[in-house]
Amino acid sequence: MGRDLNRRTFLAASAAAGSGGALAASAAPAAAAPARTPTAPAAPAPPAVAVPDLPVREAARHDPTEATLAEAVVLIRTGRLTSADLVQAYLDRIEKYDKTYQAYAEVTGKQALLAAYAADRANRGEDGKGGPLAGVPLCVKDNYFTKGVPTRANSFIFEDFVPVTDATAVARLKASGGILLGKGQMGPLATTRATTPNGMITTVNAWTPDNPLIDPGGSSTGPACAVAGRMASSSIGTQTGGSIVNPANRQNLTGLKPTMGRVSLNGVIPLSYTRDHCGPIARDAMDAAIMLTVMAGPDAEDPRTQGLPRLPHLVRAATPVVSSKGPKGKVRLRRPTRIGVPPGFTDGIARRSALLDTLADLPGVTLVEIRYPTDWSLLTGSAFNAARLSERAEPFRHWLREDLTKFGVSVLGWLQGLMLSGDEWITAQRAKHHLLRAVLDGPFDHCDVLLQTSPVPFDILGLPEIGFPIGFTAGMPTGAILGGAPYEEDRLLEVVAAYQAVTDWHRRRPADPALEPVKRVVRPLLNAVEAAASSA
Amino acid sequence: MDSDALDAYIRARLALAGVDIDQLPDVADPETGSPTRAVIMVALREFVATTPGALAEWTPPTGGVGGALGAAYAQQEAAPLAYPSITTAWTGEADR
Repeated sequence: MGRDLNRRTFLAASAAAGSGGALAASAAPAAAAPARTPTAPAAPAPPAVAVPDLPVREAARHDPTEATLAEAVVLIRTGRLTSADLVQAYLDRIEKYDKTYQAYAEVTGKQALLAAYAADRANRGEDGKGGPLAGVPLCVKDNYFTKGVPTRANSFIFEDFVPVTDATAVARLKASGGILLGKGQMGPLATTRATTPNGMITTVNAWTPDNPLIDPGGSSTGPACAVAGRMASSSIGTQTGGSIVNPANRQNLTGLKPTMGRVSLNGVIPLSYTRDHCGPIARDAMDAAIMLTVMAGPDAEDPRTQGLPRLPHLVRAATPVVSSKGPKGKVRLRRPTRIGVPPGFTDGIARRSALLDTLADLPGVTLVEIRYPTDWSLLTGSAFNAARLSERAEPFRHWLREDLTKFGVSVLGWLQGLMLSGDEWITAQRAKHHLLRAVLDGPFDHCDVLLQTSPVPFDILGLPEIGFPIGFTAGMPTGAILGGAPYEEDRLLEVVAAYQAVTDWHRRRPADPALEPVKRVVRPLLNAVEAAASSA
Repeated sequence: MDSDALDAYIRARLALAGVDIDQLPDVADPETGSPTRAVIMVALREFVATTPGALAEWTPPTGGVGGALGAAYAQQEAAPLAYPSITTAWTGEADR
């Protein structure tokens, strides 16, 4: 990428801020109104993705719920598993364990089985041609429109909302052979960890099912728990303030938040227009690459997706490379990669030191200490982060006027958004531009990817991030976040794929919850101030 | 600003937006999770006292010793961008 070119960019805010994508909230949700067009648009053609013929681990051959998405596709494609059996296996686990996990807001079991039978017929060539996802079941966060399936975003506002269309990302997954197994629990309107609209904690961390106080990461809590608890092959979430990479880190998964515009936001209930991102929460880098490849691409319904650099070959990027020369048989980086390490990265987190040691041992990796730009703390801190709240208020003005109690425990953030003036919001957009230049001309002049101490700065800037497991601390998963330059998701996947080829943290699964009696656990309530403080 | 002035701003701003804070209860409602008006007013007061001012204080740094080139140049710096990463595609910076 030619970072030396075009150092200065031009005014874009007015056109971009006013353009599409934020279509959900202006329609009356209870009326099951279409997103924006009067008739459901045809599903966009999915980009081609070829799931590689990976070796399938023995554990996955014995228990299909153990399989990664890629392994499940291989098992189905080679006739060793049917989509129907896979869907049923997941439904069995949901039946057994979701009373404890509470990962699902809605399970679409019957429809999923019908879709699985159809996928199996297609995979056998009896009924068209099977898609690349071959009938693998997925959990979809409940803020994505799903045709004919309630989409409540865990809010009173949308409690009766049944969309007549799928979000573009959902449509693409379905068109590629993905099956909707259900809607994942989430924080109300994508704010906090998953709670009911009145703030009662629902979804637990799959690693501590008996202790709802342990943070499972928010707000894509349900999709993450569904994958970690082996109740879906993979999942999709949204991220405005860490809500893909945080639950991935907390529940031993790999979450990939792509660059702004990579995935259409059409049909996603907005939280903050300029910061909402769609992406997969998956079991490993390969699964994340497959999911993002299917979801990504230009969409006529979202101008933010137009005119962007082509999607890199993410599946190739997620395929580890083994040296044929030099230290033979040793995993190396696909290309020489400078990994930036920011100040304070290892402070108080022992696993991060071990991560750096492992990365440093990979041929092709150079670790580089970087300095944050001047004003980094100010421009990524609480005040500038709060500028997003204006974007929260605007599309929900109708309900803010109609009935504040519909916002339940989350109302504070929406009211805070009304307190900022237009010039202050514009200042925050100017600061974004300044900070992006400072990051691209500063740290990214010295590194290709940059480890993060918080997901928020790259959410503000719309830059890609991947969260991945790096071990355990006192029995709980510990993760790291790696950030990249614009549209360089492949760089992130290359690093994580190599790391996952020499470690096995990502293959570890939590023990199943106790079955009988289902332990009665008091689920605490978040209050409004706590909800605002922990909001995405 | 003192609390009365902050309260006046908050109430005026809500009224201009057509939002009636009296929709919120006097006593926290566990069924809806709605906080009380008093809790909301305290939180909004704190927000207004800290956030708008911090945003309004900032201007992009300008050249010259100690930023001596000043406001006339600062207004030319870093044009506001709602989607800054996308603009790297417009300019070719992110092309391969």
